[in-house]
Amino acid sequence: MTIEVSDVNGTAVVALSGDVDLQTSPAVRQKLLACLETSKRLVADLGAVSYIDSSGVASLVEAFQVSRKKGAYFALASVSPAAMRVLSLARLDKVFTIHPDVTAATAAQG
Amino acid sequence: MTAALTPLTAAPSPTQPLSASQVKDHLSLIAEMTLVFSESHSFETVAKSALERITKHVGAEAASLFMLDDQGQVLVCTACYGPVDITGMKIASTAGIVGRAVQQQEAQIVRDVREDSDFGAMVDAKTGFVTKSILVAPLTVGRERLGAIEVINKLEGDQLFSANDLALLHTLSRAAALAINNLRLADRLVQQERERHELELASEIQRDLLPQPSAKDFPIHGINVPARAVSGDFYDILSLPDGRIWFNIADVSGKGMNAALLMAKTSSLFRCLAKSSEHPGQLLNAINNELCETNSHGMFVTMVGGLFDPATGVVRLTNAGHEPPLLFDIARESFMSIPADGPPLGIAVGIAGPDGFPVSDIDLNGGTLYIFTDGLTEATTFGGGMLGIDGVRALIRDHAEETPDLRIKNISGAVKLPGKSLHDDLTLLIVEDSGTHSKRPEPALPDLTTSAGVVLRLRVPARADRLKMVRTAADQAAGYCGCDSAWTLDLVMAVDEACQNIIRHAYAGQPEVGDIVLDFVREGDSLSVLLMDFAPPVDLAKIKSRDLADVRPGGLGVHLIKSVTDDARFLPPPPGVGNLFKLTKRLPTKVQ
Repeated sequence: MTIEVSDVNGTAVVALSGDVDLQTSPAVRQKLLACLETSKRLVADLGAVSYIDSSGVASLVEAFQVSRKKGAYFALASVSPAAMRVLSLARLDKVFTIHPDVTAATAAQG
Repeated sequence: MTAALTPLTAAPSPTQPLSASQVKDHLSLIAEMTLVFSESHSFETVAKSALERITKHVGAEAASLFMLDDQGQVLVCTACYGPVDITGMKIASTAGIVGRAVQQQEAQIVRDVREDSDFGAMVDAKTGFVTKSILVAPLTVGRERLGAIEVINKLEGDQLFSANDLALLHTLSRAAALAINNLRLADRLVQQERERHELELASEIQRDLLPQPSAKDFPIHGINVPARAVSGDFYDILSLPDGRIWFNIADVSGKGMNAALLMAKTSSLFRCLAKSSEHPGQLLNAINNELCETNSHGMFVTMVGGLFDPATGVVRLTNAGHEPPLLFDIARESFMSIPADGPPLGIAVGIAGPDGFPVSDIDLNGGTLYIFTDGLTEATTFGGGMLGIDGVRALIRDHAEETPDLRIKNISGAVKLPGKSLHDDLTLLIVEDSGTHSKRPEPALPDLTTSAGVVLRLRVPARADRLKMVRTAADQAAGYCGCDSAWTLDLVMAVDEACQNIIRHAYAGQPEVGDIVLDFVREGDSLSVLLMDFAPPVDLAKIKSRDLADVRPGGLGVHLIKSVTDDARFLPPPPGVGNLFKLTKRLPTKVQ
């Protein structure tokens, strides 16, 4: 699993790839929360996520909650089918702001 | 000019001696009037004829009776006799000569009203009547002011009211005051009797809102013992056509009629909405929102609602701020407390979130669920103390062997002290599972000594960094059975989450991390996965299904497992195994 952080016009983009599971989710959580410390806009790119488990989803939920508290923008982009399956089972697909790709997610106002 | 005021406390002494016939006249009138007043049941009708007799006897033109209203602010003419009818007329309790008599509690003789600055000519102006002289006696009972009787315009003799007239009126006013007081007391009794009757009717209707006693062999039984005529508690039991049974128990904040009315509303909402619902969390959510729309008096309702399936022994339970129910396993003599996950109903719309109140699936597994209101836990015992939850547990243990209908009577009866009423309503509901389930036979224990049907057996250390290997194995096992990628992903997810639970719960706090053994077994049209660990048995309550409305990290795993499998449960572990968890997922139709 890899985590890459970039800046797209003032929006922090965290691109995850590989398996987000019990072993790797702590690093994902840490990275998302760190970005929210410094940026008012955060996008998690899940395009290359091959698997995400409940602990990975929990990291996203935590980032979502922190962003709300801070009045920051947080969205998911290009969610892979495997990740979307878990999000919809957890009924979080209606909770998160989800964009088809990173360009749309970073351009969106919110 | 104003005549000398005669204090009420001392009867005025006649200025002229009465003749024998006058005395006889006076006495007969007093006797007659006293009798009329004492027998009268409707003061207004009698008062009118009494005023007529007084007027004629004194030789006056008119008379009227003024009564103070409840606030003592206004004098209302309740009866009158004379050329103009002023019945219903209202004057301020301080106005005019009548007002003065009432305020000062003294009789008044005014021989020429033009000489009296208190005289209000307004009444004359309104009616065309001409008042010349006035005689007024206040009406009092003890220290309470009731009003006054007024006699107007002496027509006979020197056309001046005499002290004799005043003395007569004074005596009559006392008899009248007593009569009025008696009538008021009688009215109050009638009112009380009416209220008592209404309360009885309300109590009867409320009892009708409760379900009929269940048949002896029915799995759910309830009892409600109100502390007063009406109750703020209730319970309900409602069978669905498919055999499942809705039940609820609730406690409305407060006691008395307002609580009873809210109880009636809440129980009706439950009964009505339950018929078209299968989800206790959403049902309570709907009730909550309905209650919030109209409830503005700060009242709220705690409720446990559930849907019991006797065929599986599973209760879908939701708890909105209510006392935690107890699940009692008679064989092990053990209790499990199921605490409230949600806030009480009626506080705020949407308080539980879009998915409704949290729901737990509880496998009664042959045990009995006891749900009760705080009228039981807070009941006074024979020793004088509060029963408390330990007392409730002891009572349940003591009566566990009895039939359910007898048991609810005996448990609730144990806290009802003879001759004393309960200080709070008491309601008790029990859900009993037979333990024999047609729909879901207990799966045969796996024979771990053979490899019949085993697709793959894997033993790995229970560590997060081995989960990827476990997922790969699950993926391969599903692929071996010919399953497509969507089916496989779900199985992988369930196995991964189940392993996580072993890592995070079973081995949590253990000095040494042990292993997980996974058996992927082809069983007929299903693929089963047996997960075994070697840790101490886990507390199931800690890993129960999470409330999806509660957007919070953690606790999602069990929900995911249940969502993607056809069956997932703990089984009694074979010797040497700590916990045995079995997932079963039906294979896709084309590979069955």
